Amino acid sequence: MLKKKICMVGQFGVGKTSLVRRFVDSIFDERYLTTIGVKIDRKDVTVGSASVTLMLWDLAGEDDLAQLKVSHLRGASGYILVADGCRAASLAKAVELQKRIAGQLGPLPFVLVVNKADLRDRWEVQGKAIAETGWPTFETSAKAGTGVEEMFLALAGKLIG
Amino acid sequence: MAELRAILLGPDRVVWESMRQRLDNPSRRAEDVASVLAEAVRLRSDIKLRRALQPLLEEALQLSVQSNPRMLADALFPIFGKAIRKAIKSELDGMLQSLSQTLEQSFSWRSVQWRWESFSTRKPYAEIVVLRSLLYRVEQVFLIHRQSGLLLQHVTAASTETKDPEMVSSMLAAIQDFVRDSVTGTEGENLETVRMGDIEMVLAYGPDAILAGFVRGVAPRKLSRVFQDTLDSIERKKAEALHTFSGDTSRFDSCRPQLQACLLGQGKPDRRKSASWGARALVFGLPVLLLAALAGWWIYSAAVQRRFDDFARRVEREPGIVLTHTEKRGSKFYIAGLRDPLAADPASLLPADLSRNSVEFHWEDYHSLVPRFAAQRRLEELKDQLEKRAFRFMTGSSEIPPEQRFLLEDVGSQMILLIQAATGLGQSIQIQVRGNHDPVGAEQFNAALARSRAENVRAALVALGVPAARLSAVPEDLEKETCSAVKEEERLFCRSASFRVTEPRP
Repeated sequence: MLKKKICMVGQFGVGKTSLVRRFVDSIFDERYLTTIGVKIDRKDVTVGSASVTLMLWDLAGEDDLAQLKVSHLRGASGYILVADGCRAASLAKAVELQKRIAGQLGPLPFVLVVNKADLRDRWEVQGKAIAETGWPTFETSAKAGTGVEEMFLALAGKLIG
Repeated sequence: MAELRAILLGPDRVVWESMRQRLDNPSRRAEDVASVLAEAVRLRSDIKLRRALQPLLEEALQLSVQSNPRMLADALFPIFGKAIRKAIKSELDGMLQSLSQTLEQSFSWRSVQWRWESFSTRKPYAEIVVLRSLLYRVEQVFLIHRQSGLLLQHVTAASTETKDPEMVSSMLAAIQDFVRDSVTGTEGENLETVRMGDIEMVLAYGPDAILAGFVRGVAPRKLSRVFQDTLDSIERKKAEALHTFSGDTSRFDSCRPQLQACLLGQGKPDRRKSASWGARALVFGLPVLLLAALAGWWIYSAAVQRRFDDFARRVEREPGIVLTHTEKRGSKFYIAGLRDPLAADPASLLPADLSRNSVEFHWEDYHSLVPRFAAQRRLEELKDQLEKRAFRFMTGSSEIPPEQRFLLEDVGSQMILLIQAATGLGQSIQIQVRGNHDPVGAEQFNAALARSRAENVRAALVALGVPAARLSAVPEDLEKETCSAVKEEERLFCRSASFRVTEPRP
């Protein structure tokens, strides 16, 4: 059995917890996020012929007051950078976080997720800005559920590939 | 020849000369060795070099300690200081744990139970405490990858309920980070114990893994050592697998026997569980039952006592009764005092919910001065006096003999007084005049004679003013037997008219 630790990081309010909630049935209360700064969920997936247990660490969103604790990312096999399509600043934050994580933990597989695809007409994030990152990117809607599972499975595939 | 040698070997001679000078010069030789010594030692890292160096190093250390011990102490302090602090802290924790246990056990219900057990089994109290207080069971053991928090292996004791161990493992790692960041902030510090109710978590740390155990009961200090030793052994055996861990936990399957060996326990958990029910029943049920019984008994006793007090007050209010003493003797009440024979029977005043057997009476007779009782006594006295009076007749005659006539007025006065006394007490008495005869003569004649004697006396008394309605004349043969038995000279007493006051009608 393969087990992988995956972290969700991004600006406060970009929809990380909603994405996880779309993907798994949580057993832990979401208050953990505000108390110890992380909420952990588990999801067993099958990628090709391999069974993988994903341990999803949903890290409290970074904002002006709270800094991301990189210590939570130690031992992660990969991470998901989440940005909110409706807030251009969230993409900039994702880029900043990626640099910080790579600086401290070295190169790790990751994907960029631009959430709130259901509000596409209100997006501030330009396709060009996304393309400039050069990162594997997924557009998801935690509200409608589109793209969520595909994104998680794609990352899982990347980790075991 | 010399020139030829100079031509042929000239340049080499310069080199040789240089080499000779280097070999002859000790300081140059030392410089040369020093430049290659580190590399030479690295290349010669076998046991022979270590053995060769060992006595030298030992001697050097010894000399160093003798000449300047402070230098070595300062050098070792960062290493030993931390280890010593940790060891002392561990020992102090152990002492505190046993002290708190001792204190807890000294003032608890459990200690009473243990003291009783010690007394009944004649074992020293300390032995019982050790036997009973260190009951524990390791229910789950988690081997966790330290960096990722991923669960490497997990074993459980039989009949243990488990929640998702993967999540527990990750959450534990997250909590470690949280506590470290928010409390100590020091990288080397670790969460050492977690306790929640009856469950304690024992934690051991290695460079790459954490061994955590959920212990039900009181984990002895030695358990931490067992966990640490097990983890050290796993770290040694699986150093490579731990360093390169990338999510494949099957590489740690072979650690399961070692983890299972950590599922230690003292006492039989199942027995303890069932015993705990018994103990709970004993510890809580019995005192509760006793208290309930005590409370019930107290309430019942109070109710009975109240009924008795009510009864005693009622008896005390009764005319002709004076209470001198009441008390409870065992399960019975004792009541004593003075009682006029004419007073009501106290036993008849007992309420229905107070058993006759539960009260013991002790009465001394006395005459009460209550007017009603005095009048009653006077009535009884008059009645007795009247019933002792009789008129005697001659043989075969129903006429009141002249020598008896003077009695009529006296008897009449008595009757009037009696009737008045009875009326005063609200009683309506009847007086029978009973005519008698002796056994001589025909029976029919005698019967008529007896009736005639009674009627004559009644008529004479009515004539003297005794109310006729209260007097009746009846023949009486009841004394026939008696009269037939007596001698001739006594038969005179059988030829009579006597009186009987009938039971007064209320």
